[in-house]
Amino acid sequence: MPDPIVVSELSKSYVNGSRSTVALDSFSFRGNRNMILSLLGRNGSGKTTFAKIATTQLMPDSGDVYLNGTSVIDEPEEIRATISLVPQEGRPFGHLTPREHVYYYQRMIGETREKASTITEMIIEELDIESFQNTQCVNLSGGQKQTTMLAMALSKDAETYFLDEPTIGLDVITRKRVWEVIERIRRERKMVILTTHYLDEASVLSDEICIVSHGRLVSQGTLNDLRSRLGHDTRIRFSTRVDEKIVSSMGTLVDDEKGQILLTESGNVEEVLKTVGYMNGRIEIGPVGLDDVFVSMVGEDIDE
Amino acid sequence: MSDAWTRKLRAVHGLMMVNGFIPLHRRPLALVAILSTPFSFLFFIYIFGHAQALLAGCIGGLIFTVINSATMLQSDLLFFKIDLKFQQIAVSSGISPLNYVIGMASGNMLFMLPGLVFFMTMIVYLTPLTVIAGIMIVATVLVTWLMFSLISYLISTRIREMKDIWPVSVIFSILFAVIPPIYYSVESLPLPYRYVAYAVPTTFSALIIKNSVSLNLAGALIYFAIFAAEAAAVIIITYLFADWRTGRS
Ligand SMILES: Nc1ncnc2c1ncn2[C@@H]1O[C@H](COP(=O)(O)OP(=O)(O)OP(=O)(O)O)[C@@H](O)[C@H]1O
Ligand SMILES: [Mg+2]
Repeated sequence: MPDPIVVSELSKSYVNGSRSTVALDSFSFRGNRNMILSLLGRNGSGKTTFAKIATTQLMPDSGDVYLNGTSVIDEPEEIRATISLVPQEGRPFGHLTPREHVYYYQRMIGETREKASTITEMIIEELDIESFQNTQCVNLSGGQKQTTMLAMALSKDAETYFLDEPTIGLDVITRKRVWEVIERIRRERKMVILTTHYLDEASVLSDEICIVSHGRLVSQGTLNDLRSRLGHDTRIRFSTRVDEKIVSSMGTLVDDEKGQILLTESGNVEEVLKTVGYMNGRIEIGPVGLDDVFVSMVGEDIDE
Repeated sequence: MSDAWTRKLRAVHGLMMVNGFIPLHRRPLALVAILSTPFSFLFFIYIFGHAQALLAGCIGGLIFTVINSATMLQSDLLFFKIDLKFQQIAVSSGISPLNYVIGMASGNMLFMLPGLVFFMTMIVYLTPLTVIAGIMIVATVLVTWLMFSLISYLISTRIREMKDIWPVSVIFSILFAVIPPIYYSVESLPLPYRYVAYAVPTTFSALIIKNSVSLNLAGALIYFAIFAAEAAAVIIITYLFADWRTGRS
């Protein structure tokens, strides 16, 4: 059995007049089983470009993507029958209702009236959007519109789902609903490629995470893999500034919006506390999270 | 019918509902817009040229309605591509570009249908039209519609910002419907300009229809042959240069 997804040396530059922007630069990764795989990276790191290439919309300059062994470059028709996409920044058509979106999308991809109706019914119930299913989308809120986009994409019975920032603007409860659907899809042994800037979402959902920077893969693994690659297991957050010279020998000090964070080993905690003092409780100690991994892997060029 | 064909028809029908029937039903104003220019022209022609000129106004109106619908298709296609990002979903869902254009354009056709029916009825009323000549006119309208829908699609795939379409659309409708000899006769143009006019497909649409209503079928057929060749050229150019899946954006 071929791997569900193999991304091989993908390169893509956008050329506009005399300007050329490198979006992907020998980007490669592999997903060896069906799972939820998240792509994390800063704005402009190339995630959407990758999704466009993998969903057969855009040709790369070189490289290829194989979904279950089929090349997206050479056999786009076969690929299109097996994928589904939530495009970044899409929105529903204001004249139509969410129900009509799902129903007519199903018709457009070739389903019979009966099957389209059944599928529409199911996804509306699963996403719990009955209350606004018959409201014209012009009259919906931002999150309700985004849920409509998701309902369309998730209604397709695909092998690989590409979700490019699918939960943007959703409230906590709706987001959890969407997570449940994504997890149901995983249980059905399908592949989900998820792009998100919500690191809590990536932590909860992802079986594996790919960190992308400047169009290249920086690291891939489970959350635990990435954590251990960081070389630290504990974060100590100081809500006021500490003297770098004193603590930097005990770990990596990074800036935080409200102070500083020292990434270190659990064994060092006592010594750190002794050195900086207890600071009247303005210290939080916990395990390193995905945000620490993210910032330390792609954050070096923050001030560029 | 084979399964593949049934699926294609469902795609076209779905798009026709989404871009035609439902919006027409819920926001009928576009219907008025599409009919407004050919009817205004008919009105002026009637005022200045009286009843004899009415036929010219109806033949011109028939073609103008088609061009108006193709112009509207440009903004519809761009709206679906840029604003909604629906074209991304269509491409990655395996809806073929041809089915996409036909579906979207058929949706649009609903808006031009009342105009077509009106002008066609007027032509039948004003001329001793035969069945064959009638079929000729309907075929011409259909080919014109297909040809200009394809040109609109080609344009839409090359434009990346909503606002960039309006100058293109204005020039498009002037170039293909206002200036060429669809309301007047091509012979009234001085020679060098006449050749320029022959380069515009709508000139032939008008010539075929004018020859059909005067029951000069041989003439109509010759023009139709040239017109069909032009349509074939448009199909090839669209196939080669439209940006459905490319390396650009
Ligand atoms: N159509 C385009 N023309 C020119 N450059 C582009 C185009 N689309 C993207 N880019 C550039 O390519 C790079 C990658 O963009 P991409 O949209 O893939 O990033 P992303 O990781 O999805 O970012 P975000 O998180 O903001 O969505 C960026 O530098 C961007 O400026
Ligand atoms: Mg993006």
